[in-house]
Amino acid sequence: MELGGVTRSTRYLSAISAARGLHKSALDVVERPAPEETVTSSFGRFIQSVQPRHLSPTVLQRSKRMVLDSIGVGLLGSTTDVFELALQHCQHMYAPDDVSFVYGRQGVKLSPTLAAFVNGVAAHSMDFDDTWHPATHPSGAVLPALLAISDMFHNNSKPSGLDFLTAFNVGIEIQGWLMRFSNEAHNIPKRFHPPSVVGTMGSAAACARLLSLDRNQCSNALAIAASLAGAPMANAATQSKPLHIGNASRLGLEAALLASRGLEASPLVLDAVPGVAGFSAFYEDYAPNPIASLEEHEHSFLIETQDIAFKRFPAHLGMHWIADAATVVHKTLVGLKGGSVSPNLVQEILLRVPLSKYINRPFPETEHQARHSFQFNACTALLDGEVTVQSFHTEALQRPELLALLSRVRVEHPHDNPANFNIMYGEVEVTLVSGDVLRGRCDTFYGHWRNPLSQESLQKKFRSNAGAVLSNERVERLIEAVEGLDHLDDCKPLLAQLQ
Amino acid sequence: MILDTLGVGLLGTSTPVFNTVLQCSQRQQALENSKVWGRPGLSLPPHYAAFVNGVAVHSMDFDDTWHPATHPSGAVLPALLALAETLPVKPSGLELLLAFSVGIEVQGRLLRFSKEAHNIPKRFHPPAVVGIMGSAAATAKLLGLPAAQSIAALAIACSSAGAPMANAATQTKPLHMGNAARGGLEASQLALLGLEGNTQILDLESGFGAFYPDYVPYPLAEVTPTSHYSWVLEDQNIAQKRFPAHLGMHWVADAAIEARAKFLDKYPNADLSQIKKITLRVPSSKYVDCPLPLSEHQARHSFQFNCCTALLDGEVIVDSFSKSQMNRSALKEMLWKVRLENPQDNHSSFEKMYCEIAVETTQGETFTARCNTFYGHWRKPLSHEDLVRKFRANASTVLTADVVEGIIYTVDRLDTNQDCSMLWSYMHFNKHVMHRDERRYSALA
Repeated sequence: MELGGVTRSTRYLSAISAARGLHKSALDVVERPAPEETVTSSFGRFIQSVQPRHLSPTVLQRSKRMVLDSIGVGLLGSTTDVFELALQHCQHMYAPDDVSFVYGRQGVKLSPTLAAFVNGVAAHSMDFDDTWHPATHPSGAVLPALLAISDMFHNNSKPSGLDFLTAFNVGIEIQGWLMRFSNEAHNIPKRFHPPSVVGTMGSAAACARLLSLDRNQCSNALAIAASLAGAPMANAATQSKPLHIGNASRLGLEAALLASRGLEASPLVLDAVPGVAGFSAFYEDYAPNPIASLEEHEHSFLIETQDIAFKRFPAHLGMHWIADAATVVHKTLVGLKGGSVSPNLVQEILLRVPLSKYINRPFPETEHQARHSFQFNACTALLDGEVTVQSFHTEALQRPELLALLSRVRVEHPHDNPANFNIMYGEVEVTLVSGDVLRGRCDTFYGHWRNPLSQESLQKKFRSNAGAVLSNERVERLIEAVEGLDHLDDCKPLLAQLQ
Repeated sequence: MILDTLGVGLLGTSTPVFNTVLQCSQRQQALENSKVWGRPGLSLPPHYAAFVNGVAVHSMDFDDTWHPATHPSGAVLPALLALAETLPVKPSGLELLLAFSVGIEVQGRLLRFSKEAHNIPKRFHPPAVVGIMGSAAATAKLLGLPAAQSIAALAIACSSAGAPMANAATQTKPLHMGNAARGGLEASQLALLGLEGNTQILDLESGFGAFYPDYVPYPLAEVTPTSHYSWVLEDQNIAQKRFPAHLGMHWVADAAIEARAKFLDKYPNADLSQIKKITLRVPSSKYVDCPLPLSEHQARHSFQFNCCTALLDGEVIVDSFSKSQMNRSALKEMLWKVRLENPQDNHSSFEKMYCEIAVETTQGETFTARCNTFYGHWRKPLSHEDLVRKFRANASTVLTADVVEGIIYTVDRLDTNQDCSMLWSYMHFNKHVMHRDERRYSALA
């Protein structure tokens, strides 16, 4: 009978549904050949089952560079106002669970989640941390949480350097995978700040891994983290932006801790379920894919084929193109006129940059705005031949010569210059009072993934940053520890220099 | 709203999810401490107290619901009480009520900036979006922050707003409320310390507008000492639930109860297994369409489950979601018989939806009923007696009768009370636990 037939197939589907406790809308998802293979569960499985031996030499090398750079910018960042504020807040509200170290504050300890928070804030406080493609700042969300957890382990059972690196790479990898589920994610963001979206998930994944959670707990950690993800772009270029990374780190760790205590959340959070948004809530176009099982496929980490950018000065990535372009003009000018560059020589400055509202600021008033201003960075490079940490100090912001140049800037957005860190360029055209026109163009700045910093340059940046708060001895020991991280039996040598 | 929220919060302290978050939060110690509801002797840093108490309030989906859709009180009250406890000069009842109202008002205003917000949500869970903003506003008010810092609090809170709907109907959903309460409080604390955010956070598409596809904000009317301020709550009342399940379930339950009454009226000794087929005409809303719920969280978000429970028992109550009740074979069998229909004219909006039920017997007879407005909806609010009855039933699971009455009395007179600190002291008792101080108290009494 027809009715019976319908009932039978309904019963079959309902039985699957009953076995999985799914909502009706998800039944379509279930009808794929392998019922176990949801995107979400494939992620949980990956996090739990990936081993150190899966890390190729390239991955090891690149990730160690990321760890070094991240520690350095964190240490430097511990000298900022916003960091001090966040630290006071945590110390005032929460007496130390005295376990985890704080960047640049010898002897100060906080509970692991709060240490992750403040250290994350430090990492992003000056927009000096690494940037990837698709766009996010991956390391700052992951490393503080992992370091905080490492402090939690008893002295005799600290993770090995390789375990630490594996967890770190899991955190980076997950972020890369998630961003590839959306075309929109490939462009400079407009709506949600990526570290707050994928960074939280990466932190949850990395922490779940370091805490050795089982695969269900790993999936739950991701799902719990999804409910803690997402901060709007409007707070970029304000003092609150660094908190996006701090929160990503802290909340990912919290999610992993909650999952380890048995908290459960949606088993389909990463899958595309029509009518009920999961992680898809953060994107207009979301098309996820499962991570293939490590038993069946050789896993290739994304960092292997898509390297990372390290910044040479603390400002939004887009600024690096325009600074390099302006530096070319600066050199030409100095060559022509000798001595320093005077605004009196300049009639007009034209910038050709991609269209992106939050980095188009003619007259920035704060250091945060200055780090997100094409105009400011171009003029600074034009004046000084470089942009440095000091370029964003209050006195530098208010220089009359700089203001004079700023008032002569015009911005254009050519069609062939899309808001995409993989494709964009920066062009500076300076018309002198004499009528001469000087041009500079940068397609790939030094530090971009296509033209990565040499190991020497990276270490120089680290020494300069870390040296702001640590003794030379400690700085060198840190470099050594990170360099040999994959050979360390336990990561105490690394942690010891940061305490 | 305050009374109802306290009651559901106390009841919620008995749930597993509450225990999980409590354990997790206990790692922290602090200089200032705020009381955990229903846990005598246990205090946590204010943020964590707000967090766990907020989780308690939403743990069973028993808390109030508004239009446009959100659960407003649970995000605000736990944060306010946690904060009030730490202030060197305790606020008066009126100050507490004012801060509470500000927290509710801000949520109502923000929800009105988007048409999409008027429908049952699909993308972001509203308490995580507007709830945290309400908490920030309310705590900023209680702290007496100047306008600029209140704006900073809102901006900071905005960066912690938003949780996707997929975690509804799971054990994590209550954390949306806890995080809203905690995040708003933290935002105010950070603003007080001088942290700044985007001063135009509510104006920008890239600000609060990030959470809506159709965001059209407008400024609030000015408040002057002499003029009358028109609160959203005055025009738009709130719904308070009679049983702990998603609001949509209440239409279904009322309709099912009516159909059942008609059935039993005609056949007083009828055996409900005589029901052959049940058709529910409800709005289309995927996350509450769950034919065979496995967990209590799913059951609270299942048209089918609530329909069958109401048909079998003539009511849906707190205990309906217990394991034993959920595992009844009669219930499970009946679940197979339910079919959902989504008529075009049944809008996914708590303001407009209805539920129609058609129960077909093996004899071929059909009993129908329709519910447009369930009892407890803002169009048909619970009477004061029934609201207090709900509170007593909830609070008594955790508190002794005299403490229960004490809270009722205090909330009733909140606006005339100079010192409302009794409120969080009362919440700190538990009749199953004899705390040292309590023993002393009862000895004196």
